[in-house]
Amino acid sequence: MESVNEVKQQLSARARSVTLDELAGEGRTRVPVIRAEHIAQMIREAVHAAIDGSGLLNPREVDALVERGCAEFRDALGQREQELQSARESEARLNATEREVAVLKARCAALTQDSVLSRSELQQVQDELEAARASSLGGSQPDVDSSELIAALAREVAALRESVNQRMVAPLGGQPHSADFEVAFDKLASKLGDRLDTFGKKLGLGNAIGVDAQVNIGSIFDDDGATDLESNMQDIQPHQQVGGSIAENLAKLRALKADG
Amino acid sequence: MTEREDFDLNSRSSAEAIVRLGKGLDVGTANFAAAAQSDAGSVTVNVERNAFLDIPSDAYSKNMLTKLKVPYVVHNGKLVVIGEAAFELANVFGRETRRPMADGLVSPKEQDALPMMKAIIHKILGEPQQPGEYCYFSVPAESLDVDNNVVYHQGLFESLINKLGYQARPINEAHAVVFSELAENDFTGIGLSFGGGMANACIAYKSVPCLSFSVARGGDWIDNNVADVLGVPRSKATALKERGIDIRAPQRREEEAVAIYYRSLISYVLENVKSRFESGDSMPSFNEPIDIVCAGGTSMVGGFIEVFREEFAKIDFPIPIGRIFCSDEALTAVAKGCLVAAAIGDD
Repeated sequence: MESVNEVKQQLSARARSVTLDELAGEGRTRVPVIRAEHIAQMIREAVHAAIDGSGLLNPREVDALVERGCAEFRDALGQREQELQSARESEARLNATEREVAVLKARCAALTQDSVLSRSELQQVQDELEAARASSLGGSQPDVDSSELIAALAREVAALRESVNQRMVAPLGGQPHSADFEVAFDKLASKLGDRLDTFGKKLGLGNAIGVDAQVNIGSIFDDDGATDLESNMQDIQPHQQVGGSIAENLAKLRALKADG
Repeated sequence: MTEREDFDLNSRSSAEAIVRLGKGLDVGTANFAAAAQSDAGSVTVNVERNAFLDIPSDAYSKNMLTKLKVPYVVHNGKLVVIGEAAFELANVFGRETRRPMADGLVSPKEQDALPMMKAIIHKILGEPQQPGEYCYFSVPAESLDVDNNVVYHQGLFESLINKLGYQARPINEAHAVVFSELAENDFTGIGLSFGGGMANACIAYKSVPCLSFSVARGGDWIDNNVADVLGVPRSKATALKERGIDIRAPQRREEEAVAIYYRSLISYVLENVKSRFESGDSMPSFNEPIDIVCAGGTSMVGGFIEVFREEFAKIDFPIPIGRIFCSDEALTAVAKGCLVAAAIGDD
């Protein structure tokens, strides 16, 4: 088809147009007509004849060459179409990812805001605890039992966590929250809990969380069986070093004690 | 001046040299040291490495160990070699000793080592001269750089020593160094104890501790890092460090590794000490320069105090400092300081 079009173009470029009346005026009443397809066919036959006559290629090889060329063209066309399809799919995925990133950024902003709120509430709790400590150190009786205070603060932290969890679940149309934000919030909640414990201890409220009883660690050695251990250590002297006198140290310490 | 009187801490005979009441015990990650004094004031210190090594138990091994005077106990069906001998055996066979303590405190990984520790402490401390004799034992301060808690550690040793018949009293490890080494300064200055698991610091004014803290790096940190870079067991690294090198002039690749980590340790300790002092909490002010004394087994390496002075010169310390020196009895200074506290407590 392309060769026929080329022939038509070439003919059109070299032809001139005349009307039928002009032809009649020249005395021509009949003119030969030939179609472009026939001319293309004649050209192909002429090319084949020339190749045959040259002895360089036989017709079957020429046909195979032509067929191979067409097959390669079809393959290249197929590859380009696949690449185009792949590019279109990548573009679609990119668009989807960009939309997701936008959604996550919005959620991050919301959670950041919540974290700021939580921090300010924590600061408020801190201030309250410091005030309570100051008043207890000033000798006045605390208004509330220390254990109740710690329990109240723990409840506040739990409620705070619950409210932030709810905000995380459905801030933007019920989108599932990212695992990273869950981890970040868990860390924040854990830090809140640790700081609460520290505050309690600093205020001397440690008794409220069960440190009243003195633990008897000595019971570890009650039945360790050490006295029944078979050993040869009674026959071996430890490595001994002789050190300098401490008489001067003791004298000076006693003098300091007497002065103090 | 040292008056030397040879006597056995374990002796209870009144015909032999009289031992004044009160004993000091350095509970160290690397070594235990127990100190006692004679009436003349001279001091004897029993030292034993805080390590053990278990080997299969059989009659032949027991006989050999006894003949070679290698201390052991039989525990859970195994022969457990104790102390310095364990360290030597480990080096010979390319094994690692087991350590009841880590980073200055009782190791949570070696809970079944308590009987071994009790055996070592009983051996070096001996029996009390009389029931309820004071025994001051060293405890580390809480660390600036790791989250640790000394309550269990302190309670454990207090109970152990009480069960041996003493009245146990804890004293900060670096404070003990002040008692031992800063008598000439009226017990005013900074005591630093470079132990196996930690470095402890105490700033004291006329024997009263103003500030005590620790950092969780010591000789073991050096050994672990040297072992890692050289690809040797940790016991080998320890032996390399203790065989008499000079960290100012390392001769071989192994010694260079030790020197590098020593300098890093000293720099780290100084930076943390400086930072803590600069924080201003509970800090006294000094009109006159005060001395810094270093003690502890880790400070015994050749060139330690010179490197310490070099690193100190690089920082802007917030307190005026006079002398910087190392104790002549670095390994036993803490035990000696505990003994001083026990002797005073007995009066």
